[in-house]
Amino acid sequence: MSEFRDSATGAPPDEYVEAEIHRLLAEDPAVAEQGITVVRRERGLVLYGEVESPHRREEILRRVAERFPDVPVTSDIGVIRAQAPTEVEQLP
Amino acid sequence: MIRIAAVGDVHMDEDVVGRFRPALDELPDCADVLLLAGDLTRHGTEAEARCVAREFGGLGVPVLTVLGNHDHQSDQVPQVVKVLEDAGIRVLEGEGTVLEFPGGRLGVAGVKGFGGGFAGRCASDFGEPEMKAFVRTTNESARALEAALRGLDCDLLVALTHYSPVPDTLAGEPLEIYPFLGSYQLGQAIDSTPTALALHGHAHAGSERGTTPGGVRVRNVAHPVIKQAYSIFHLGDHLDASEVSGIGHSGIQQSWS
Repeated sequence: MSEFRDSATGAPPDEYVEAEIHRLLAEDPAVAEQGITVVRRERGLVLYGEVESPHRREEILRRVAERFPDVPVTSDIGVIRAQAPTEVEQLP
Repeated sequence: MIRIAAVGDVHMDEDVVGRFRPALDELPDCADVLLLAGDLTRHGTEAEARCVAREFGGLGVPVLTVLGNHDHQSDQVPQVVKVLEDAGIRVLEGEGTVLEFPGGRLGVAGVKGFGGGFAGRCASDFGEPEMKAFVRTTNESARALEAALRGLDCDLLVALTHYSPVPDTLAGEPLEIYPFLGSYQLGQAIDSTPTALALHGHAHAGSERGTTPGGVRVRNVAHPVIKQAYSIFHLGDHLDASEVSGIGHSGIQQSWS
């Protein structure tokens, strides 16, 4: 399959990059995250979501930077808290 | 009263073993049972299942689970199930079990479930073989859930799935991916039986609370949604002594000490 590239810059359109990153996050065995959102901002792509460890967060950024070295990507990914609950929900 | 702890989408691997354990060690004091709503692993490997077994095995309360889509990724489902069951974690897929507690008999039926979408905006059993296979997978899963729910003789009935039975608990996810997150057929199965509570995971950006069209409460217990080790639900306050059946009834019940 041929890749469409912007004639002026030679770069693939942002929307395809966004789609590729989204699929990379799920399909790359080193990541396997389906819950990360890729949002296009004026200054580049921002990754949102939550993962189970700091290691996984770093791995996501490493893999994306490796695959798309020219795309400015920042991360706002959090690590999910795992403390015991302080309240219960009473159901009828 | 029966106390149910639940969480889904814990995505265990070597790097996170031990994270849940401090909270899990408190479980016997605050819950009768732990229900896991699938996606226990990252890639569904036997090695990751061993991490799940280390983290969620030997808790002092019974642990029941369904598998999620991640747990199918490496085509090692039989090995994953064996590792979990060897650790005392009961895996439900189209079946159920009844647990006897001082507060009554809790019936839990589980399936992974599947996508397809919700009423009026769903995939149909029509067209290409791939499309028909997709929808038939959903239909079969819902039928299996309904049969498992119907087969349980208990005081309180809970449906456990990975995929969502309602769109309510997907709020926060992009509308476009709802058909990959759940299906109305699961809700229909739940509503056809006297289910008290439906628990699911899968939708990491969804929301906690919803109800089926028939009024059954639905809770999305995906870890990124509840943002704590597990949630606890108290059910069955209405079960007075006369309604709760005696312990020791024969049949498929299992006693837990």
